[in-house]
Amino acid sequence: MLSITSVSKTFFPGTVNERRALVDVDLEMAEGDFVTVIGSNGAGKSTLLNTVAGRIIQDDGVVALDGKDVSRLKEHQRAARVGRVFQDPMAGTAPNLTIEENLSLADRRGKMRGLARGVTKAKRERFAEALTQLELGLEKRLKTKVGLLSGGQRQALSLLMATYSDPRVLLLDEHTAALDPQRAELVTRLTRSVVEEKGLTTLMVTHNMVQALEVGNRLIMMHEGRIILDVDAERKSQMTPEDLLAEFGKLKGAVVDDKTMLQ
Amino acid sequence: MITALELGLIYAIMALGVYLTFRILNFPDLTVDGSFTSGAATAAILITNGVNPFLATAAAFVVGCLAGLITGLLHTKGNINGLLAGILTMIGLYSINLRIMGGANVPLLGQDTMISALRSVAGVGWTSVLVLAAVAVIFKLVMDWYLHTDNGLALQATGDNEQMIRSFAVSTDRQKITGLMLSNGLVGISGAVVAQHQGFADIGMGIGLILVGLASVIVGQAIFGTRTVFQATLAVVLGAVIYRLAIQLALNVGLNPNDMKLMSAVLVVAALLLPQWKASPSSPAVARGAQR
Ligand SMILES: Nc1ncnc2c1ncn2[C@@H]1O[C@H](COP(=O)(O)OP(=O)(O)OP(=O)(O)O)[C@@H](O)[C@H]1O
Ligand SMILES: [Mg+2]
Repeated sequence: MLSITSVSKTFFPGTVNERRALVDVDLEMAEGDFVTVIGSNGAGKSTLLNTVAGRIIQDDGVVALDGKDVSRLKEHQRAARVGRVFQDPMAGTAPNLTIEENLSLADRRGKMRGLARGVTKAKRERFAEALTQLELGLEKRLKTKVGLLSGGQRQALSLLMATYSDPRVLLLDEHTAALDPQRAELVTRLTRSVVEEKGLTTLMVTHNMVQALEVGNRLIMMHEGRIILDVDAERKSQMTPEDLLAEFGKLKGAVVDDKTMLQ
Repeated sequence: MITALELGLIYAIMALGVYLTFRILNFPDLTVDGSFTSGAATAAILITNGVNPFLATAAAFVVGCLAGLITGLLHTKGNINGLLAGILTMIGLYSINLRIMGGANVPLLGQDTMISALRSVAGVGWTSVLVLAAVAVIFKLVMDWYLHTDNGLALQATGDNEQMIRSFAVSTDRQKITGLMLSNGLVGISGAVVAQHQGFADIGMGIGLILVGLASVIVGQAIFGTRTVFQATLAVVLGAVIYRLAIQLALNVGLNPNDMKLMSAVLVVAALLLPQWKASPSSPAVARGAQR
């Protein structure tokens, strides 16, 4: 479904600032796979997601979606089939547009955007119903500008929007990291239920070891641009956060930063 | 007074164009100085060659769109800074406008124009003001409608959060080009009607026009608010009229017409700075909002 083959990316090659962000990375994901990605700072996690999204073009290797090489497609072209939620809760929504207008933008993913009315009565009803699942009361605030919502509300809305029109692949890059624990919990719960309900093929980066083990059916650990550990569902269910930390401990130069939470 | 109102309403169409780029797309587009004259030149030369003035004005829209297209391509495909892209098109248009007119000036005296048609029905007075107000309101309503279509919402989002709307499969390049074309098309129409109103097209008529547009948008929105698109576009139209009245007032009290450009510049600076002073230092968001 999503296959990443021998993908490499080096920033500022041949200079003193050279950074090998991805080194010969291979990753094969089956339909409906939910892979959590962990790794120290600078391991290349975001770069990996960005090469799938087309935000960064790899130097070498192939990114294929549904068996077709998408390496040449621009970011907005790939976005017809790739949904994203960013770390920054402000990044995934348009603040000066209303909740219903934002949803209508998400609704048109991959479709023609012509001169039909953006928000109709029928759509409004669909949007309100979808918003009810968030249990934040947003269905009653359809005409509120998104910029007036809290970070947690915006991130929950971003998640709903990213998954609304059933993308083939969902990319989540530390999308709960900027939220307080309660909101992070909510967004994690929403993530699990929407991914399960829609059977979305998902890549989720997290610094939270507990979350990385609890969520998804597969876990990969990255270090210095390589995937150094690939854990399947069965082994993952038996692992503890301590086991993961031990894996980190084996690495030369890996610093477990204070974002890494163990609770 | 009547003339100032009439001109204000005609310039309102230009101000709506500036609103589209400056506020919606968050793109300070200097093309307008050139595209305004292009619209005027195109319409004037067509009218003197016997073309129906309504068709001539429609042609001015097309020419304005082309000017916007060039700026849009320079910016998005050529990766040229937006301000510079606008300046490049504007300067280039100066020569093109001279070519279109075949000189620095095209008189329209004695020609059948949209304004002469208006005069034959409504004369000069409140009726003619009303007709032009209706025209400005129609443009405003069409823009309100467009901004709420799927395409218009994508345009708004492009100015609001580019990263987000790209992640929903919108080509922000294409949206920017669309916005710049529509904006300069409106500016071209406005230039065409102004030429017909004053009875000539002139190579210098667009100089400093961006300031008139910005002043109309900023002053209008400061007074009448921007809560919804409907309100914001109304504010732009009213802002253009107020600006024209203010200029008229300044002239009436004996200010030198040559000082008008300086006046416009000071007015825009004041409108940009005042909201920042009003805001307390603890709310930097307000100051940032004023710059948008
Ligand atoms: N746009 C860029 N330009 C230059 N270097 C970059 C860029 N993006 C990433 N890098 C570099 O590539 C390496 C991998 O970065 P990446 O952002 O993928 O790490 P990460 O695993 O997401 O880390 P974090 O946990 O801090 O988010 C780092 O050394 C980083 O400095
Ligand atoms: Mg990262």
